[in-house]
Amino acid sequence: MDLRMINISKSFGANLVLDGVDFSVDGGEITALLGENGAGKSTLMNILGGVIPRNGGVIKLDDKEVDFYTPRESLDAGIAFIHQELNLINDLAIYENLFIGREKKRKCGVLDKDSMISQTRTVFERMDIDLDPEAMVRDLDASYKQIVEISRAMLMNAKLVIMDEPTTSLTEPEIERVFALMRTLKKQGVAIIFISHKLKEVLEICDKYTVLRDGHMVSSGYVKDVTHSDLARMMVGHEVRTGKRKEEKKSDDIVMEGRNLSDGRHFSEISFKLHRGEVLGFTGLLGDGRSELFQTLFGAAGPYEGSLLIEGKEVKMKSTMQAVSLGIGYVPRNRKENGIVKDLSILENGSLVTMKLRKKHGAIDWKNVHEDFDRERKALSIKMESEDNLITSLSGGNQQKVVLAKWLSLNPKVLILDNPTQGVDVGAKEEIYTIIEELADKGVSVIVLSSEAQEIMRVASRCFVLYHGRIMGELKGPEMEEERMMRLATGVEE
Amino acid sequence: MENKTENRNFISWFREMWTGHPLFSTLIALLVMVVLQTLALGFDQGSFGDWLSMWCRNWLNILRNNATIGIISLGMTFVIITGGIDLAVGSTLVAIGAVIMIFIDGSQTGLLSAAGITGFPSYLIGIVAGLVMGLLLGELTGSLITWGRIPPFIATLGMMKICRSVTQQFMQTINPSVPRAFTQIANFKIGGLMFMPVIYWLIIAFVMYWVSKNTAFGRYVYAVGSNERAAKLSGINVQRVKRGVYAIMGLLVAVASVLQVSRIGSMDYANAGSGYEMDAIAAVIVGGTSMSGGRGSIIGTVLGVLIIAVMNNLLNLLGVPPFLREAFKGFIVIGAVLLQKKEKI
Repeated sequence: MDLRMINISKSFGANLVLDGVDFSVDGGEITALLGENGAGKSTLMNILGGVIPRNGGVIKLDDKEVDFYTPRESLDAGIAFIHQELNLINDLAIYENLFIGREKKRKCGVLDKDSMISQTRTVFERMDIDLDPEAMVRDLDASYKQIVEISRAMLMNAKLVIMDEPTTSLTEPEIERVFALMRTLKKQGVAIIFISHKLKEVLEICDKYTVLRDGHMVSSGYVKDVTHSDLARMMVGHEVRTGKRKEEKKSDDIVMEGRNLSDGRHFSEISFKLHRGEVLGFTGLLGDGRSELFQTLFGAAGPYEGSLLIEGKEVKMKSTMQAVSLGIGYVPRNRKENGIVKDLSILENGSLVTMKLRKKHGAIDWKNVHEDFDRERKALSIKMESEDNLITSLSGGNQQKVVLAKWLSLNPKVLILDNPTQGVDVGAKEEIYTIIEELADKGVSVIVLSSEAQEIMRVASRCFVLYHGRIMGELKGPEMEEERMMRLATGVEE
Repeated sequence: MENKTENRNFISWFREMWTGHPLFSTLIALLVMVVLQTLALGFDQGSFGDWLSMWCRNWLNILRNNATIGIISLGMTFVIITGGIDLAVGSTLVAIGAVIMIFIDGSQTGLLSAAGITGFPSYLIGIVAGLVMGLLLGELTGSLITWGRIPPFIATLGMMKICRSVTQQFMQTINPSVPRAFTQIANFKIGGLMFMPVIYWLIIAFVMYWVSKNTAFGRYVYAVGSNERAAKLSGINVQRVKRGVYAIMGLLVAVASVLQVSRIGSMDYANAGSGYEMDAIAAVIVGGTSMSGGRGSIIGTVLGVLIIAVMNNLLNLLGVPPFLREAFKGFIVIGAVLLQKKEKI
């Protein structure tokens, strides 16, 4: 099936996320859709999948104009969207997952197990897969789960398969298995859209590529005509960096040091040193393990190997309470799930960490707590009506500042910020960067985790780039270039 | 004209209170119940003074009869705000009651009287032993839930079965008697009226209210129930908070047990306290506490206990057959949750 998306536009409010994008895929081809986070890849694919409506442009399937208003319509037209989080039910057998929602029934209403199993077998034979349809999905490894998802698409006679970062959670041999299946499908005339950050894989498996940047189609062509560096450059673009870190007053004291840290799953052989008053960046793309690394060092995840030194003393971090008592603060990613307590007030959210320390006769000394929070509120210029309102009454940027405030009242030595500007508008972003700089000037050591190279370059003077849980390189000052970071983060450069 | 706008103002004020303040609707429900109950009580007394004294005596009875469940509901509120549940309260009440009775028994069979300790010292030891046992049982439940990672429903279901069964077996051959003096704890009369259980209930309710509002532990109870992950990432000892609420629950069950033993002067190990867990949960829910945790209040629970209590009284006055009364309890629980503001799925 040949797909043509012509002059597609989409805006969310005043924010134009797709601006006249052209995108095409032909049957029997694998096309890579590339771009940084926020380039518009997901929006484009969600339009194709009928998840969101477009504002302008035309979609043609085999030269026939089509319109999808629901995911179902897109599916019926032969387009299957395989999301990053797989949609499988672990406690059902493979064939049951394949037929979920469209079960075959006998006349009397009883499930026709035999027919479903034999149809599953037929699909597996066509795709050259050796799997028992009656096996439980729970017992499959990640690559086979991916394969079951693809089989479900094939069972529905999909002619176009969209795969969103399918290899993120897979190991090398598992990736090979998925690639083998993709090649088989290609031979059968299926069109595949491969969304990935891993340029090495793109060069290995794809025939064509399309690069999006800031909602525009920047470039497209045949993969055989380009190199790793070409693709990395196209994704990043040439524009001059917007902001840059001013001179840093860091000292030579080492506040935190990691030696050969591994957790056996998400990260391995991580070593780093953090100076007093320094802003240190950790960057990489999805699945690089940076969040897991610092969750572990904050005592919020499982055990680890290697050693962690706080101000020169070795520490075995076991709980978040221990981390807090050592003066480490942590602003997690996904504010809604990890950062705020939605049933508590602004004041309570902003004093959650230090509340237990401000005591008078066994009760909370509310006056003291209020003064603490008021100081941080002014310093961070949090906009709000009353501190007794629920935290959810605030905008994203202000919520994030309240989460910051709860740590600042502790006067931390080390502050770990994971994706600090997630879901925060542009103005508030710049405010948060300024706050980070001011903290560092006051002698706080800040670790910023972010997948946005621009953000790391804006606040940090030094950064580590991770790929698959390993440090690929350390960049200092002028070495921090987006292209270089992208090459390291995509595993191209060692 | 003016009257109309005033009316509209009242309606919009009412609507705002109803949706914005969870306690408001609970309070209205209680007022409606009280009005109905007053009407059902009738006005056929000779004078207003007679009517008032009868109305007050009826209320004193309601409060006294519900003090035990009221105290247990206070602990249950904390448990449910953390997102947990305690099914074992009825059984631990019996187990603790048995221990208290063994200690205070003044006859030959009594543990302490055999050692020569009787009267007030033995009561004191008995009460302390009961409270300590309640605390330990609560800590045990809490530990099963936190360290053992057993869901609260399962852990307390197990405790429920174990406590009652062991108590029944153990107490088969022992038949302690409660000294008369001990019954004064609950039955002491002030001005010819038995106030004591109500006083204990109100004092504990006040303390629990204060703890929930003004201590770090109290606020952490809400934080843990609302977003356990965020609480953990803020350096809150989530496990200790959870163990704490079950320990408080155990302690309050022990208080309830002292009252029960003192009020009745004996204990039926097979039936005493049975159904208390469900009555307490019902009161907490009617009082506006969310089963999914994070939201609720001590005042709401006190109102919830009163709503169910007044409704029972009303049904009694109306002569509704006893078998049907539980159905009304069911209606009111379902109705209360239907009225609550819920998040969309």
